[in-house]
Amino acid sequence: MAGADQIGQAPRRWWERRWIVPLALALATSGWMLAVEGRQGLARDEAQYFRAGERYWGWFETLGEAVRAGKPGRAFARATVDGFWGDNHEHPPLMKTLYGLSWRLFHRCDCAGPKRGLHPIAVHGKHRTLPLFARESTAFRFPAILLAGLGVALVYGFARRFVGPWAAAGAAVLSVAQPHYFFHAQISCFDAPIAVMALLVALAYWKSLRSPRWGILCGVFYGFALATKHNAWLIPCFLLVHYLWIRRNDFRWEPSKGSQTLPRWCAAGGAGGLPTRRFLRLRPPRVPLAFLSMASLGPIVLFALWPWLWHAPVARTREWVQRHTQHEHYNFEYLGQNWNLPPSPKQTGQWLLRATFPFVSTAFTVPVTTLALAAAGTVVLARRRRKSEASDEPSLVNSEPPEPGARASWLRPGADVDLAPGIFLAVQILGPLGILALPSTPIFGGVKHFLPAMPFLAMVAGVGLAWITRQATSLVRPSRLRQALPAALVVLLCLPAVTETQRSHPDGLGHYNLLAGGFAGGASLGMNRQFWGYSVLPLLPWITAHRPPSNHIYWHDVLHDALIMYARDGRLPVAIGDVGVGEPLVAQADLGVVILEKHFAVYEYLHWESYQTTRPAQVYAHEGVPFVVVYQRAALPPRQEPLPP
Amino acid sequence: MTAVRCGPVKLSSIFDADSFRRRRLAYACAAGIVVLALVETANALLAPLRAPADRDWRAATAAIRAGFQPGDLIVTAPDWADPLMRMHLGDLIPLAVAGRLDAARFGRIWEIAQRGARAPETEGGHVAQSGRHGALTLRRYERAAARVSFDFVAEWSRATVSRVGLGGQVNWCSPLPDRFECPELPSQSVKPELLEIDTSPHLALSTQPAGQATTVIEFDRVPLGRELAVGAGLHNVWLRKSGKGTVSLRVLVQGRELGRIEAGSLTGWTLRKFDTSALAGQSQSVRFEITVDDPTSRTLGFAAEART
Repeated sequence: MAGADQIGQAPRRWWERRWIVPLALALATSGWMLAVEGRQGLARDEAQYFRAGERYWGWFETLGEAVRAGKPGRAFARATVDGFWGDNHEHPPLMKTLYGLSWRLFHRCDCAGPKRGLHPIAVHGKHRTLPLFARESTAFRFPAILLAGLGVALVYGFARRFVGPWAAAGAAVLSVAQPHYFFHAQISCFDAPIAVMALLVALAYWKSLRSPRWGILCGVFYGFALATKHNAWLIPCFLLVHYLWIRRNDFRWEPSKGSQTLPRWCAAGGAGGLPTRRFLRLRPPRVPLAFLSMASLGPIVLFALWPWLWHAPVARTREWVQRHTQHEHYNFEYLGQNWNLPPSPKQTGQWLLRATFPFVSTAFTVPVTTLALAAAGTVVLARRRRKSEASDEPSLVNSEPPEPGARASWLRPGADVDLAPGIFLAVQILGPLGILALPSTPIFGGVKHFLPAMPFLAMVAGVGLAWITRQATSLVRPSRLRQALPAALVVLLCLPAVTETQRSHPDGLGHYNLLAGGFAGGASLGMNRQFWGYSVLPLLPWITAHRPPSNHIYWHDVLHDALIMYARDGRLPVAIGDVGVGEPLVAQADLGVVILEKHFAVYEYLHWESYQTTRPAQVYAHEGVPFVVVYQRAALPPRQEPLPP
Repeated sequence: MTAVRCGPVKLSSIFDADSFRRRRLAYACAAGIVVLALVETANALLAPLRAPADRDWRAATAAIRAGFQPGDLIVTAPDWADPLMRMHLGDLIPLAVAGRLDAARFGRIWEIAQRGARAPETEGGHVAQSGRHGALTLRRYERAAARVSFDFVAEWSRATVSRVGLGGQVNWCSPLPDRFECPELPSQSVKPELLEIDTSPHLALSTQPAGQATTVIEFDRVPLGRELAVGAGLHNVWLRKSGKGTVSLRVLVQGRELGRIEAGSLTGWTLRKFDTSALAGQSQSVRFEITVDDPTSRTLGFAAEART
């Protein structure tokens, strides 16, 4: 068996300790993101989570004050809890709480000056902090960035169960070196965090098949996932498919206890004895600890972490569930069309076209080499199933064979069976994509909605890496070359993904891969270019320098919360104007921003008509593809006044 | 002094030929992925350099300004580059040109192209001028332009507008400087407006159809040519999303129906060309009748040109 790196072997040198590589990968990932996140504009939803996170921190401040006053119960009163935790209650609080906590700990405070009024909670004076970050937004983003690092480490740890260390490291790199994933991983939202949480729960489930301790942890982690984003509802479904697969032999056609001899009239033509009526003897596999744990500990952890639920748990849980099961259709550009309505049953072509979205988007957004490696990995995993002995497949590390003589129990439900990594990975990848392809699913759009598939896709690519390195080493004779090849190949094969990701920054949402033709190719194919109004950041200096005397600025999809954070970060003047959102307000402004999404065209034409020109004053473009335009009412001199710090 | 013996390194000392022979397909697949990685990396590094630079746009712009004549059309290929083109040349693209019915009336079309694309507006034209400006290709196409004998949007004030109820009662809409105002529904005026239809700009006559009535817009003594081009669709992405009704636009010349255009949330901008060659050279009344099954969130925009 190749990949002599068996789990459990004693490390020979310090750098071979099991935690060194994942730690290094996590630090490198977080470091990479911290180095570049400043070029990433503030996303629409992210700005709301900044506000909510700071409010949630405000509750902890209130709790501290109440404890100091000897009346801790005050902080738990319904009005107090709702006053802080009612903000943005359509999403659970874990990440927002971490964002708020990180902000409180690590921002560089100039909160007592002119920016005091920009905070959603009362600022009583200068905060004492560990001022790690120059910008407040970076302090908010720090937990997401750390979690992205953890995700990479988890991919390494999980992939090591199937492949050697170099291929596992490659899988870890490929999991984050995806332009769309990278975009989401560095901002204070939930899409990359829920992908990491799904991975954490899946890893715990996997280990729980042989270890009851992980069964309990699985429930705790599932609670964290529930408290991160509602995608968590689907995690047990995907795990259940795998569980039923590995225990499929528990279902058998057998005569049940109540087998009956058929009456003679029913057995016409049956000579030589009467047939026996046979039933599917439903002997389902035992419900394993991991699922019991998820069903019990998951909600408990969610409830403990979400004060908004405390005073009306049933009604508010129902409200949360209904908010997302009855979600409206978003506008989303796909293959040249703006989708915002479900196709009627008569429109078969449109129905099919829409159902392709998650698969086509994956094919066009994940680096092509990663996809090719994943294809190779799929073949390897599929061939593994055909082998009588899993260890026959030399590219794979078979670290978890069935234990000889072991018997399955609800505590160790996978003790006696092969754990079928191929099926496991396939379900974790196809599950999130398949849900988005269902016609009954609301139109969300965006790779972000099936990001939880991406770490698993990277793990399959890791299997492909292991296969290629295996081929290469089997071809060459010199031992030094054989030793050097795995590292060299993994670096070479990860290079395109890293280069593409770096190239895409800060506009990862508009990036498409080699198959699609990059930014320009994606635009020509009519694929979505962006959302959330984050892309205005490069234009802020120009807008500041050219703001009109009236200070009436239309910011379109740049949310007011984002403007406030830009001001707190020192990227906009504190008193920058904002006429508000909505079509009638375009005419009230003398300078207007339009974010170029297909369904936002109406706002550009409103500017044409109001300003009587089709000529934008500024365009922000990435590789020649426009993202944002700014219109300026004619004959207005720029505002001449110094900017506040 | 030590003698050094140099000789050719045998490939067989590096590669296992037997292994190669046995597993050619596997090695070919692996080599293919390695080559793909090299190509993708090179592309990621080089593609940004191939994107048009600002100096390319400035050079193409200067060439257009040097040869531009009133009535010329400027387009980009692919069309997503349009905002960059307008930043440089927007003063040459008035609202009426940006919101055109189609490109038939333009005999000279400047196209700024990249990545080998061609604008659909240039169809049927021949290249009269061509030049390369960095990553941009500038071409001037020339072709026979359609002569517009009557532009129904530009001549909107010559119309008479009424609402005809189910029982046949007629309510006349009053002409105001910027619109027609109908008495029973003053908010539902008929006016020329730049609309967003199918996420594209269209300068059109807009109206919110009434549920229990037919909106009639009639033009007398229209000089007809060989065809009557009519484009129609529903305005505003949010209204298209929230409404469900289908608007019907019936086109009649001298009382005879030429055809209909149905506009729903997913029909986009529908352009139809009706043959009027039998009436070419005559002045006739042209009537547009607009009905709807459910008027909620429906704003119809239509434009029409009589062409020779």
